Amino acid sequence: MAAPDRDESLRATLVGALSSDRTGLGVTALPGAVWIALLLLAPLAFMTAVSFVTRDPLTYQIVWEPSLENYRDLFVGGTTEYSLGPVGFQATAFEQAMLLSYAIATVATVLCLVLAFPLAYAMTRLGDRAFKVTIYLVLLPFFTMYLVRAYSWRLMFGGSGVLNQALGAVGVGPVGLFEYGVPAIIVGLTHAYFPYMLITLYASLDGLDFSLVEAARDLGASRVDVVKDHIVPLALPGIIGGSLFVFVPSVGAFITPQILGLGTVQMIGILIERRAIGAASNAPAAGAASVIVVLTIVVALLVVFRYVDLDELGGA
Amino acid sequence: MSRQERPDDDGSRRISRRSYLAAVGASTTAFAAGCTGDGGTDTINVITWNDFAQDPVVNSVEENLDVNVEITTSTSSTEMFTRLNEGDDFDIAVPNNNLVPRFLSADLIEPVDMDVVSNYGDIYEKFRSFVDQQFTQDGDAFGVPIRWGWYGYAYNTDEVPDHDPSYRIMFEEDYVDTDLDSQIVMYDEAAKTMPVAALYLAEARDDPSYEEALTQDDRMTFTEQQIQDMRDLLIDQKPRLEGYISSDTTFIQEFQQGSFLVGHSGRNEIVRLQENQGVENVEFVVPQEGAMAWYETAVVASASDNVETAWEVVNEYISPGTGAELARAGKSPSCNPNVADELNETEQELYGRIDPQRIERFIPFKDIDPDVADAYNNAWEEVKS
Repeated sequence: MAAPDRDESLRATLVGALSSDRTGLGVTALPGAVWIALLLLAPLAFMTAVSFVTRDPLTYQIVWEPSLENYRDLFVGGTTEYSLGPVGFQATAFEQAMLLSYAIATVATVLCLVLAFPLAYAMTRLGDRAFKVTIYLVLLPFFTMYLVRAYSWRLMFGGSGVLNQALGAVGVGPVGLFEYGVPAIIVGLTHAYFPYMLITLYASLDGLDFSLVEAARDLGASRVDVVKDHIVPLALPGIIGGSLFVFVPSVGAFITPQILGLGTVQMIGILIERRAIGAASNAPAAGAASVIVVLTIVVALLVVFRYVDLDELGGA
Repeated sequence: MSRQERPDDDGSRRISRRSYLAAVGASTTAFAAGCTGDGGTDTINVITWNDFAQDPVVNSVEENLDVNVEITTSTSSTEMFTRLNEGDDFDIAVPNNNLVPRFLSADLIEPVDMDVVSNYGDIYEKFRSFVDQQFTQDGDAFGVPIRWGWYGYAYNTDEVPDHDPSYRIMFEEDYVDTDLDSQIVMYDEAAKTMPVAALYLAEARDDPSYEEALTQDDRMTFTEQQIQDMRDLLIDQKPRLEGYISSDTTFIQEFQQGSFLVGHSGRNEIVRLQENQGVENVEFVVPQEGAMAWYETAVVASASDNVETAWEVVNEYISPGTGAELARAGKSPSCNPNVADELNETEQELYGRIDPQRIERFIPFKDIDPDVADAYNNAWEEVKS
C-alpha cells in the first residue's frame, strides 16, 4: 500500500528533522519569536523611528525628516524648581513625571515586598489545606477586573470617601492623606501588583532548605539574624524577580493614577497618553518620552542581571 | 468522480472539507449580503458623541432620509481629528468648534454644500458669525453648528452661600465664607481650563489683553508671558482642588457623593443633575468675567464617497424634528432656534430657544495658535505635574 509508506516516510523525515538540536530549537522557539517580533519588536522599532521625526504644528501630520527635537524638548526648557537631595535644577514636565513615577513605583514595590514576604514565608510552612485557603483568599479580589478594583479604591479615598467618612464619624477626619493623589495611587498599585510579588516570593522561599534555618537557630542565631543572614540571601532571586514584576508595570501605570489621582498626579504613562492621543496630538513627542522610559527600564534590568541569573528569578 | 463527492465505505455521501468550506463561505457571503443588502441605500459613517447614537436620533434621521447611519461614538474631538487624519473611513465627524480649524488645516474636510444644508440659514446669526470667523476660507464655510452650550461653574447651595458669580471663587481663598481647600474641581483639559485662568487674570489684573487673546482671532493668541501667568495661577490653585474631572459623568457622580463644593462645569451637566438625578442643592452660574461656549460642528470628510448624502444627514441634525431629539439626548440646545418648537414647555426652559442677546456674552472655544502651541501644551503639562 502506497499511502502508509508515504506516511511512514513523512513521519521519519519529521522525526529526523526534529531530532536535530537546531531544528528542534527552531520549531519550539519560532512561534514565540514571531510573536515577539510582530507584537513587541516591530511596534518598538516603529515607536523609535517616530520619535526621531516631528509633527507639523499646523496640519498635525508627521514630517518624516530626522530630528532630535523631541529628545531635546524632554530635557530642555524646564521651569519648575526641583531638587533631588542637594542637587537643584529646573525640571521639565517629563523629568518631573519620570521622577515621580520612579518614586511611586519604588514605594509600591517596597510595600509589596514588606507585605508579601511574611505571608509567603508563612505559606511555605502551612499545611496543604491551609495553603489552598490562603492563596484563594489572596487571589479572590483578582477575579474581578483591574478597572473595577481601581474604582473600588476610588470609593475608599477622596474627601468624602469611605475612609474619611469613617474617620469623620469618630471625630478624627477628614485626613488629607486619604484624598485622591499619590498615597491613593501607591495603595492602588500595591494592591494591584501584590500577587505577583507574593507568588514569586513563595516560589523562591518554597525551595529553601529549612534545615539550614534550624541549624542556624541551634547554633545561637537570633530570629532576626536568621532572616537577615540566611533567608533573605537565599530568597534574593525571588525578591529581585518579584520586585521587577511590581516595579516595571508600576512605572508605566496609567489606569490606577488616572482613577486614584483624579487628574492631580501626572505619572509618565499619563503624560505619554496625553501627548499621543490627547489634545496635543503629538505622537513623535510621545514616542521620544516612551523610548526614554524603555531605555531606563532596560538599564535597570541590565544592572539587576549583573547580580542575578535570569533562571534564578523564578525560584531558588 | 469529483474529489469533492466521495462515497464512504458505508455508502453514505460525506462532503469533503473543501466542499464544506466552500459551502460555508458561499452561505456566509450570501447571508451577509442579505443582512446588509440595502437596495441602494447609502450608509453614512459618523464619528461623534454618544448622544448621536441614541435610537430616537438615529431613527429620526433614517426615517426622514433614505440612509443608514452608522455611528462610532467618541468622547473627544481630538480623537475624531486623529482618526480622520489617519485615514479612517468616516463620512461625517462632529467635533467641537475649536478643533475644526485643525481639520481644515490638514485638508480633511469639504466646504458646506449650502444647497443641501437648507436649514443653515435658520441657525442663530451669532453661530454663523462664529463660523465666518473660525473656519471660513475663500467665502466657503467648512462646518455646520449643531448644538451648543456654555461653561461656568456650579456650586453646592447647602454649603456655599449666595455670592456674585465670579471665577474669584476658584482662585481666591476669602471670596466666600466657606473653606474650599480641596473642594474645587476643574476640567482635565487645557482647552477648557486655561481660558478660565485667562478670563480671571483679565479681570484681576485689569488687563483686557488676556480676554482679547481669546476673542480677537480665529485661534487663541496668547503671548508666552500670558501662558506662563496662566500656568502659575493654575499651579497655585492646585492645593484648593479635589481634582481635575475628565468627563461629565464623573462630575455628576462626584457632586452627588459630596466630593467637592464648587466645580467648573458645563450647563448641560447641571441640567442632567437636576432633571435626571433630582438634585436640588446645585446652582449653575455664569461668572461676571465671561463664559466660554462650545458648539458642536458637523464636518464632512473630503475622503467621503457620499458627500452630498452626508450633508443631507448634517442638515437633518439641525432640522426641528431630529434637532429636538438631539437636544433631549444631551440636554443641550440646538443651534437652530426653530428646534425649540418641537420641545415641550419644560424642555424649552432647560434647552430651548435662547435670547440672542444672551449668546452675545459667550466666547467660543478656539484652538491654540500654532506659534505658541508648544508653550501652551508644556504649560498645561507643568500644571498637571
